[in-house]
Amino acid sequence: MRSRAAAAVLSREGFKKAYSMEGGIRAWNGLRAAGPPDAGMAYFEPAQKPEEMIALAWILEEGACKFYREMGKKQKGPDEAALFRELSADEEKHKSSLFKIYQRRTGKDGDPGFPRSLLSLESGVDYLEGGVVLNKALEWAQGQELRDILDFSVSLEVNAIDLYIKMERKVEGGEAKEVFQALSNQERNHLKRLTAGLQKDW
Amino acid sequence: MGIMDYFKPVDTWSPDKVRQFLNEKSHQDYNLVDVRTPKEYEQAHLPGAMLIPVGELETRLKELDRNKPTITY
Repeated sequence: MRSRAAAAVLSREGFKKAYSMEGGIRAWNGLRAAGPPDAGMAYFEPAQKPEEMIALAWILEEGACKFYREMGKKQKGPDEAALFRELSADEEKHKSSLFKIYQRRTGKDGDPGFPRSLLSLESGVDYLEGGVVLNKALEWAQGQELRDILDFSVSLEVNAIDLYIKMERKVEGGEAKEVFQALSNQERNHLKRLTAGLQKDW
Repeated sequence: MGIMDYFKPVDTWSPDKVRQFLNEKSHQDYNLVDVRTPKEYEQAHLPGAMLIPVGELETRLKELDRNKPTITY
């Protein structure tokens, strides 16, 4: 998963020929690696309106928030559980920041159309980066080791950072730029913590 | 519009395709990037792969020639 996220970053940065090796080093060694559902997809920026991008970011934060919350419940060790709980709490805060920006930009106090109508999404289905349906990811996570869950989480964060960098570049207005910069910095901090988790013997 | 309109698939290569590609080409013709952690890299990596952990990729893009095919794993 990290590898797909990396290839996605490269494509967005202008590498015309970026490929991710399916299954990673385990597959290279002849082992079968089962990736998360629809894991071949990655975020890409088509020409979208800033409001749509804010709505999309909110949806993805909500998905990540729920994913981490469930992972926090599933972990037996206190440190692992705390890591996922903290990540989940942060993503919850990100949702508020995004909604505030949306309100300021549109001048609307409340908007029942935010975020789903803006993206023509049905209610009741949650999504993660790449358009992965949250429930599918949770099903997949059932049988996985901590390492695979961390790997998947890293790919979520890499894509989130990228999304916020794109949004920062695209959006006008200093205040909104600052918010997106703060969000990408916070996701960078998540990425550091998750990567440290991959290095650690739990 | 659906959620998938906001996403684009990443190109993936099978390990066999990568193996064949690496056999046919010289190492100056491509970037082969291990995006895992230093610890994982030390345990095992593909011959000739350079280590750029995914968290450092953004700041280390200059180390890669963007005109060359780039394989990540």
